[in-house]
Amino acid sequence: MTLEFVGRTMDLEKGYWTVFPDLCKGCGLCIEKCPVDCIDWSDVLGAYGTPSVKADNRCIACGICQNICPDCALRLDKKKTKEH
Amino acid sequence: MQLQPAMPRSWRVDTKPHKFCPGCGHGLILKCLGQAVDELGIEDRVVYGCDIGCSLLSWDFFNLDTVQTHHGRTTPVMTGIKRARPELICIAYMGDGGGYSIGVQHLVSSVHRNEKITVVLANNTQYAMTGGQMAPTTLPGQKTETTPYGRDPEVTGFPFQGPEMVSAIAREGAYVARGSISNMRQLTGYLKKALVNQIEGNGFSFVEALSACPTNWRTNASETWSFIDKEMHGHFKTGEFKTPGSGQGEVRADE
Repeated sequence: MTLEFVGRTMDLEKGYWTVFPDLCKGCGLCIEKCPVDCIDWSDVLGAYGTPSVKADNRCIACGICQNICPDCALRLDKKKTKEH
Repeated sequence: MQLQPAMPRSWRVDTKPHKFCPGCGHGLILKCLGQAVDELGIEDRVVYGCDIGCSLLSWDFFNLDTVQTHHGRTTPVMTGIKRARPELICIAYMGDGGGYSIGVQHLVSSVHRNEKITVVLANNTQYAMTGGQMAPTTLPGQKTETTPYGRDPEVTGFPFQGPEMVSAIAREGAYVARGSISNMRQLTGYLKKALVNQIEGNGFSFVEALSACPTNWRTNASETWSFIDKEMHGHFKTGEFKTPGSGQGEVRADE
């Protein structure tokens, strides 16, 4: 029983992008749905021993990956923009 | 406590990762259903019933009272619970095998009686749990275990149009819609309307969701999305087929 998941948070320009390898099954749906192709396979293994995903700085923090993940393995927290 | 996954509140966290295959559409449909339940704030009143097939793997998915039954009998079981305890909100969740094939009589009878329950049906064009055999919803030319040369409509007919059939026999007050996992915001809206329709006591609510089965389709992620968006959407039109207050449409009775 797992009640607390350990995430890998990436500090990107537009937001904090977190993947939970214990939940990621490596289906790759997020890689296809990302509008800027910033998600790719990583070296960290996921729930079934398949590669989990990672993101890079091209991320625009749209949140589609968080929405489309069937396992809720992705989480995106937008950074607050500076007020002008 | 560290940053935790953004799961719907009604999901049961200690059973995750859930039992569905990688890339399965059930996870996405149940995410939409969980969000709809969260938004309406009805967790304490919902009874969730799952059918046999892959959908039974959701028996410990939610933090809701759950019943698991066989072969489309989820609909009559939920009907019984609703009749005994009308204040509860009953959701019957099933696949296209349970709802359109072996259990279609229960669905038809419930629609005919206008039972005040919500039926959510996942359509992945085949029987997924038993290894990908042809189902009533299999697309023409689609290869499955039992149609290795593709489904021949001359022999086995065309895909079963569930919401069209339900809206044709449903009475006034019913809500019938078809959504897709490629448009989750729309699907969540349909599920929410279907639950509201039950809460208001208008009548039968039915939502079919186009789902994905990468394991038995033998597709990778990009082929999965293109199969849903190009092949399935060509045969199954998404949208609302019947809403409360829209009348009987073309088959309006003389009054």
